[in-house]
Amino acid sequence: MNRSAAWRRAKGWPGWALLGVIVVALLAIGATRAGGPATPEERVEAISRRLACPICDGESVFESRNNASASIRQEVRTQVAEGLRTDDEIISFIEQRYTARVLLVPRATGIDALVWALPVVAFVCAVAGLVFTFRRWKRAADTVPTEGDRVLVDAALRAGLDGP
Amino acid sequence: MPEGRRRIAPFIALAVALAVGALLIVLAGSSSARDESADTFLLDKPAPPVVSTLLSAEAGAADLAFDLSRRKGSWVVLNFFDPDCVPCIAEHDELVALDRQQRQLGDAGAELYTIINKGSDAEVRQWFAEKGGDWPKVRDPGGSISVAFGVAQVPETWVIDPNGIVRARLIGEVTAEGMGGLLQQLRETMS
Repeated sequence: MNRSAAWRRAKGWPGWALLGVIVVALLAIGATRAGGPATPEERVEAISRRLACPICDGESVFESRNNASASIRQEVRTQVAEGLRTDDEIISFIEQRYTARVLLVPRATGIDALVWALPVVAFVCAVAGLVFTFRRWKRAADTVPTEGDRVLVDAALRAGLDGP
Repeated sequence: MPEGRRRIAPFIALAVALAVGALLIVLAGSSSARDESADTFLLDKPAPPVVSTLLSAEAGAADLAFDLSRRKGSWVVLNFFDPDCVPCIAEHDELVALDRQQRQLGDAGAELYTIINKGSDAEVRQWFAEKGGDWPKVRDPGGSISVAFGVAQVPETWVIDPNGIVRARLIGEVTAEGMGGLLQQLRETMS
């Protein structure tokens, strides 16, 4: 039994190794990819997608057609054309004026960072819980009768057959 | 198993109770009343630059330039407006009364300016021709003035002191009486 379990485990290794290689490769591509907007208009789009329309529910400045959003888009376009501020600085400029209700993508600093950290923590806890539970199930299933158990059962059966 | 579940249950109940309690505290702490002066990072800071043109009373006439920084020495009231906005229509008579009241104060009175948040020249001209109000109307091309002040919805009224410092932001309709009182109070705190 021990031999077959070890063999089963060994047979799974290439699969896991391949999966590991793929994950590392994808992470490397994702991290080093020369992303980001290329033209000023793409920059305006990227910034206005990160800003919420100050008078709508869950709509970005990019999508929203109302007057306030049009004004904000125009302001972003002007500032991008001037080229004096980074994307984050332009977003802070708008955020400051519209009293902080305009961020669609939460910041990764301060208390806002919890929004990013909590799902990861929950995921890790859930996976740990599953691993723990599966282990316990497996341990229960792996239980096999020992020689002593067989002797007991045989004795009981014999006793039952011999009995009245 | 049932014992284990029973042992966890009080902790889950406690967690839910804590979450509900925290929510109640947050809700109780938020103010429902609209304050006289709304929050803005510009409060007690220099007003953003406002450089634009004034809408002439008649089409075809020359447009005068407007620069807020040249209004230093006077109290300035900026009213953000749009001819389609219903509260703006409701507020208008109060603005007419406010303008009259402030003119009566002479040099100490505040200057009223409309900032045209939306609407064509013709629309705005016709609106004021019908409803009255001969104070200057400032164009806001591309909405840059509105963004500089963080105005998302009209009407909004801002008070700027003779040093060019923002003293009040009022979201929604204002009254002549309320504005007159606020301006008087601000004048007294400055002198």
